[in-house]
Amino acid sequence: MSSNAEQQGGLPESWRVQLPVFEGPLDLLLHLVRINEVEITDIPVAVICDQFYEYLQLMDELNLDIAADYIYEAAQLIHLKSKLLLPRPATAGGEEAEDPRQELVERLLEYQRIKEAAQSLGEIHSLRRGIWSRPSHPLELENDEPMIDLGDVSLHDLLGCLKNVLVRYDHEHPDPLHVSRETFTVRDQFQRLLEAVSPDRPFDLLADLRQRSCRAEIVAAFLAVLELAHLSLVRFHQTAGGEILVYRTARELQVHELEAIEG
Amino acid sequence: MTDSAEMQAALEAVLFVASAPIPRSKLLEIFDEGERRAAGEALDVVVSRYGAEAAKGILVEEVAGGLRLVTRPELHGYLRKFFEVTGRTKLSMAALETLAIVAYRQPVTGPEVQEFRGVNSLGVLKTLLERRLVKIAGRKQVVGKPFLYRTTREFLMHFGLESLEDLPPLEEIEDVFGTSQTPLELETL
Repeated sequence: MSSNAEQQGGLPESWRVQLPVFEGPLDLLLHLVRINEVEITDIPVAVICDQFYEYLQLMDELNLDIAADYIYEAAQLIHLKSKLLLPRPATAGGEEAEDPRQELVERLLEYQRIKEAAQSLGEIHSLRRGIWSRPSHPLELENDEPMIDLGDVSLHDLLGCLKNVLVRYDHEHPDPLHVSRETFTVRDQFQRLLEAVSPDRPFDLLADLRQRSCRAEIVAAFLAVLELAHLSLVRFHQTAGGEILVYRTARELQVHELEAIEG
Repeated sequence: MTDSAEMQAALEAVLFVASAPIPRSKLLEIFDEGERRAAGEALDVVVSRYGAEAAKGILVEEVAGGLRLVTRPELHGYLRKFFEVTGRTKLSMAALETLAIVAYRQPVTGPEVQEFRGVNSLGVLKTLLERRLVKIAGRKQVVGKPFLYRTTREFLMHFGLESLEDLPPLEEIEDVFGTSQTPLELETL
């Protein structure tokens, strides 16, 4: 925590705080009640609300992520604070209306009880961690049919079982190794284009390239066009609109020229 | 008529082999009906022979409604050394809080746990499910039909409880508003 604070150039040395770790917004509220030495049942909401907000700001300054749960609780507190500022309407019977803090108080009391129970469970847990027993997989008995006590099998166990089977299946049946062949060759594209172009009918190169199925095919087709031009088998004409039109020239293709092209 | 020494030996043998706590009555079923009374006395002898006072490596523990043999906690270090276990995983405070809510307020849904703690608790519940300390026990018939969680027999065994009634009592704090406390819903597994 302190290293975090040191990174904050703006914070003076004396400000270095040990930030207690809270299990959640209710834990923080209980802490605030304790340090203010007030009763849970008589919370000064305005004070606690401000301190709660200060703590969130501190978390923010220390670059700690503020969980949404804290922000939600802060909003609840502000709502409660605003309610307390309003005059309480008297009920029909003239009795005093319900304290707006009641819900918060009940939640805090319940949380305090749970926290204490959690602490005593934790004590039992650490006392009993040293106890070992026979691992719980049953003996392999030589009965005809293994008996399964369904009472001990939960949905979670079944899902865990399925997961294990699937993992093992994947392990034992690995996917076949796919070696993808080079599907598009410059020579194929060369021949395709040579058949497509004609001496008197314009062939729209960009439109043709756009119709290719993938990047690799586009590249192969483009290289083929360069080859066609290199061998003077086609000529180009660019229109004012930017279209590139390809025409077949009169030159004949030699067999060795075709063979020289990358297949 | 089986003599007491043999009964004790037989009971010891069954406890030695069993992998889960065996209820007393079920344990005594290995003897004829006429001998059950004598067998019960033999079992008492076995239980005290492996009692907490006896300086043995193993002891008989009454847990989750049954009897089982476990190691003496002080011997933890030797077992760890032999089985080369570096450390047994501790339960975090978040896990303990969540477990406490499920234990004392069961059956309880995920959103209810969140309401009690003020923090999203689904991840913690999942960890507890994986450690088999809680289980899913149906769905609550409300909107969204959330899962209901209960503690498991493993939970009782882990915390050395005979039944849920053995849970340490919740410290009840006087409620100034006079609303009645939700009664603890307890059940024996």
